[in-house]
Amino acid sequence: MKKVLFATLLLFATGSSFAQTDTLEMILDTYFENIGGREALSAVEGYKMTAEMDFQGMTIPIDQYTMKDGRSMTSVSVMGMDMKQDVFDGETLWGTSQMTMQPEKADAETTENKKRSIGDFPDPFLNMEENGFSAEYVGIETADGTECFKVKLTMKPQLVDGEEKDNIMYYYFDTENFVPLVAKQEVMEGPAAGQMMLTTYSDYQEVDGIYFPFSLKFSGESGEGQTLVIKEIELNPELEEGFFAFPDVEEEEEEEGEE
Amino acid sequence: MKRITLAFLMLSSFSFGQSLEELKGDELFGGLSARHIGPALMSGRVSDVTGHPTDNKVIYVGTAGGGVWKSSDGGVHFNSIFDDYCQSIGTVTIDPNDPDKTIWVGTGEVWTRNSTSVGNGIYKSTDGGQNWKHMGLANSDRISSIQVHPENSSVIYAGVQGALWGDSEERGVYKSTDGGVTWENILYVNKGTGCSELVMDPSNPNVLYASFWEHRRTAWSFSSGGENSALYKSTDGGKTWNKIHRGFPSGKLGRIAVAVAPSNSSILYAVVEAEDASKSGMYRSEDGGANWKHLNADFGLVVRPFYFSRIVVHPTNPDFVVKAGLFGSVSRDGGNTFKSLGAMHPDIHDIWFDIKDPDKMFVGTDGGLYRSLNSGETMEIIENLPLSQFYHVAVDNQTPYNIYGGLQDNGSWYGPSSSPGGVEARDWEVIGVGDGFRVYPHPTQPHIMYSEMQGAETVWRYDAKARQTKTITPSPVEGDPKLRFNWNAAMTTSPNVPDRLYMGSQFVHVSDDRGDTWKKISPDLTTNDPEKQNQANSGGLSTDNSGAENHCTIFTIAESPKNQNVIWVGTDDGNVQITKDGGKTWENRTAALIEAGLPANTWCYHIEASVFGERIAYAVFDGHTKNDGGTYAYKTEDYGKTWKSIVTEEIVGFARSFQEDYENPNLLFLGTEFGLYVSITGGKNWMKFENNMPATAVHYMEMHPETNDLVMGTHGRGIIIIDDITPLRQLTTEMVASKLAFIDMKPFEMNEESTFGGTSTETQFVGANPSQGARIAYYLSKRHTFGKMTMSVQDMDGNFVAPLTPGKKKGLNFVTWNFNTTAPKMAAGRTFAAGGFFAPRVKAGKYKIVIVKGKDTYETVIEVTYPKNTVFTLQEREAQHKTTRELYSMNEELAYMVYEIDEYIEHANSTKKSNPKLSKSADKLINELNELKKTLVITTGDNYVGRAENQLREDLAEIYSTIGGNYGAPTKSQLATVELMKNRLNEAKEKMDSIRSGTMKKYDTSLTKAELSSPKLKTFEEYVEK
Repeated sequence: MKKVLFATLLLFATGSSFAQTDTLEMILDTYFENIGGREALSAVEGYKMTAEMDFQGMTIPIDQYTMKDGRSMTSVSVMGMDMKQDVFDGETLWGTSQMTMQPEKADAETTENKKRSIGDFPDPFLNMEENGFSAEYVGIETADGTECFKVKLTMKPQLVDGEEKDNIMYYYFDTENFVPLVAKQEVMEGPAAGQMMLTTYSDYQEVDGIYFPFSLKFSGESGEGQTLVIKEIELNPELEEGFFAFPDVEEEEEEEGEE
Repeated sequence: MKRITLAFLMLSSFSFGQSLEELKGDELFGGLSARHIGPALMSGRVSDVTGHPTDNKVIYVGTAGGGVWKSSDGGVHFNSIFDDYCQSIGTVTIDPNDPDKTIWVGTGEVWTRNSTSVGNGIYKSTDGGQNWKHMGLANSDRISSIQVHPENSSVIYAGVQGALWGDSEERGVYKSTDGGVTWENILYVNKGTGCSELVMDPSNPNVLYASFWEHRRTAWSFSSGGENSALYKSTDGGKTWNKIHRGFPSGKLGRIAVAVAPSNSSILYAVVEAEDASKSGMYRSEDGGANWKHLNADFGLVVRPFYFSRIVVHPTNPDFVVKAGLFGSVSRDGGNTFKSLGAMHPDIHDIWFDIKDPDKMFVGTDGGLYRSLNSGETMEIIENLPLSQFYHVAVDNQTPYNIYGGLQDNGSWYGPSSSPGGVEARDWEVIGVGDGFRVYPHPTQPHIMYSEMQGAETVWRYDAKARQTKTITPSPVEGDPKLRFNWNAAMTTSPNVPDRLYMGSQFVHVSDDRGDTWKKISPDLTTNDPEKQNQANSGGLSTDNSGAENHCTIFTIAESPKNQNVIWVGTDDGNVQITKDGGKTWENRTAALIEAGLPANTWCYHIEASVFGERIAYAVFDGHTKNDGGTYAYKTEDYGKTWKSIVTEEIVGFARSFQEDYENPNLLFLGTEFGLYVSITGGKNWMKFENNMPATAVHYMEMHPETNDLVMGTHGRGIIIIDDITPLRQLTTEMVASKLAFIDMKPFEMNEESTFGGTSTETQFVGANPSQGARIAYYLSKRHTFGKMTMSVQDMDGNFVAPLTPGKKKGLNFVTWNFNTTAPKMAAGRTFAAGGFFAPRVKAGKYKIVIVKGKDTYETVIEVTYPKNTVFTLQEREAQHKTTRELYSMNEELAYMVYEIDEYIEHANSTKKSNPKLSKSADKLINELNELKKTLVITTGDNYVGRAENQLREDLAEIYSTIGGNYGAPTKSQLATVELMKNRLNEAKEKMDSIRSGTMKKYDTSLTKAELSSPKLKTFEEYVEK
């Protein structure tokens, strides 16, 4: 039955008589149904991912916190030093300097872009209208050797050197099980501007009724890259007040001095 | 939830079995990817340059064979944005109504030299070049111009120059009023005359100028001009057209370039090719083309109109005009007088002025893209456009092997297939001037190499050790007719006799002493058709006898690797001949090929004499110079008596190159004008290879016999390599039917070369190196998406060695292991101990590769070897390994000690707060532990110049990574330092023991008394577990 259903869906997707918006709706409906349902996803307020990344023979433990309201933190522990990156409390974006191990604020444009990215949690396709995102079905393409529905997602524009640029991601949903295998996005600034960055999703596993990819590979088009392997996902973690806030540096130093 | 899971599993359990013939390329090739090594130092032909109308940071470059490149930073970096489509570009046009997003590309270069490629229509992007859609005009062959109405993006005009090599009806001016969905031909002249330029008045979009050019190429001639060349004007959006020739010379006209001054659209410039040469050159009109005045017929204005017909007028100064040409000509007095542009690579094709700063300009040449900051006075090359146009490649047997080849208008070169830090401009050596074609290393003495220039005008033997050349061109002897060498003259070495060199004119010339003495071993093997030998009269209105049209010549020579007396010859006029007695007698096999379906007189581009037997050969034919874009490739197994086509409908484009695998006779590679095709079924079906492989013309291929790399000479994207194609060799129906199948790989040699890297700067192209680790390969019949999949290296006893990240694509996956184990667990401190990031290498030997996918485990064994070229003995390596392991353990022992200290300090601090009564014993412990810790790790400062003095951890890490990073035995000094470290660690251990038995014991006792528990420490094994 499922195979028949799939074949029918595929026919719709490739046939010209079926409107592109209907195809998109079908892809997203099936995707959300397969990964646990829109309702379950909407109930997620935040999550903590405990992950690892292999770096030249060294396994780096990484904790990543992501909240619905945009607050976030990536925390890396190396040789007893905890470094925080991409920490955002809703207003201030900051990270630890690897030279001084002190917190430093991100520049205004990067912070503004972080604010503009709010809404992609836990899934950018979930509340698109509310977030001012839009999506469009592009067609069938092969990704990772697998036939996929290619969907273009347009999020809020990002600023690059003061100018607004379209913020577009192309998602490749497996035509067989409707989960994204790959997402591609154009690098907007720096020497790699114009090249495509890929995120490759796999090892989908269930966490409290919702499927998450437990392996995320970040690479260029040539394929070389880094893979984040997720060990555990905790939904709706309880966090202390001020967990994401930019620390008061002086106080902390005084405390250390007292020891 | 359960229901969903079940549904998932059902969906996922798709059937596995696919036969080799059913596989599609994008399902099979997986992670097998091409790498590009350029080079970019000589770059390649740029055919069109254009910029964003308001944002001067955005520049597009259309190229002769390398697709379209975009810069978003004012020309500092460029990215290829058209890889999947035809790489021969006529024009790039930005929609002025939507300049950030809507871009049009007309394919098919319009600078119609003999080696120009072909186009296949018009393309549109609506997202700034990320995605493209073919918008028709599929048979246009060459699109010279696209103009978009400045107020209505639906209205587009296209100038179609049309077919170069024959008649075609898809020519002239086309108009679309629906955004390119449909096109109407609004101005047509005849089957041999096309629109070579279409210009829109910038102030009135209803005014259009269209220049029409009557021209034709054959393989042996070129004709520019005729009664039908003309310049037309429309003032009603293309409904009606009138010739505007008042002031132009009478008689036949050739190619006409036209431009409107952007700042004053009454002023027009035209460069006219006329029957009366004195009337050729620059014309100017000041009344919108109603009247023309002849201004200048200097060389720079009249040279080679078919190659240089572009005029570009300054954006604000109507009297500042630049004309493309051999050197490029610039006038500041309205076209009356000209001087050359600044020094750069000759053959200038297009110019673009920066719209915000017109002193800045970009210039497209045969040797890449140049930039001027002073209106063309001085030029600098853009160093990161790898557009090199190779005609041919060869490889040698060195390590790393070198690649040899010649380029269009850019000489002959050789360079390494890999180099520390990547293959850079400085790695390439030039070994021939002019146009370069075939270059060969001596098969056993690669410092001796042969190169040639166009038409074999000069053939060189070069000694790279002495850096000395000797000219060894075969020359006529008494009784010889004029020798006819192709522009791209046949040359090859012998797979059997190292000192042998072949050259082909209409005869086969052979030398057994490296070119010092030549002997003719054949009669004229061509059709010797006198009608095709009038090159002195070639060119049409402007004579153009460069040698490019030499015809009735031998184009390919192949000696059988199995028998030196079996030699195959293919000619540009369609003959295939064979000798089985070293040239005493020749047999013409052309009739057999015609019987097999080959049209007569189709250019034989390549013959591959098979390694599987002297009877076997493959022959590839290119009919495009007869206006035939069909693919022709044949195989014979009986010395050419009969031939069978190996072409199937999957292949697109005419073919020029072919390579067979050396081990699997069913693995074949075919290079066409639109990319690379692979067959693993002996030609029963073909798959396009698109992994980092653009749709570029593959002019020649060579497979390296040791590395099994496929090396491609492309005509527009430089050298492209697919490293080690062994996995394709091993694919069987059984393998692709199994869930996961490892590919057997030969032992991996550890790379111990220096890693200092190269010297290129940020704006220079650097070619990719091959993977330096063990490249583990396996085939997955289905993409891994759900559940865990892990991969690791184990020793042969099953002990963990290193983690790997598995590939999960359907098809071939490649995982690189850098031969490292894991880094030690390092003590926590205030700073990084840089040496602690070091992960030691494994010893040579056999290792297991283990993949766990869901419930299934898959294993294979690989072998790792030390480099053959090494200065270190096994004993030295053993000593290095032993000391490294010792130091590794010492690092972890120290780490565990610091862990214990930190746990106790934290515990004691917390005890102080909860039980003030225990403060005294807690404080004493904290103080003693901190005192010790200060000597073990850095506890103050930062990671940069504020860092504190090294402590034990930092010193230990340093000697550990120093010795570990070497390949030979530790030096005596290093061993002395190791002893010092051992002593310091032992002292620390003793101090720690003393604290444990003293203060710590008392603290523990006081905890017990207070009914509190001591810190719960992990065991050493738990602590260091990776």
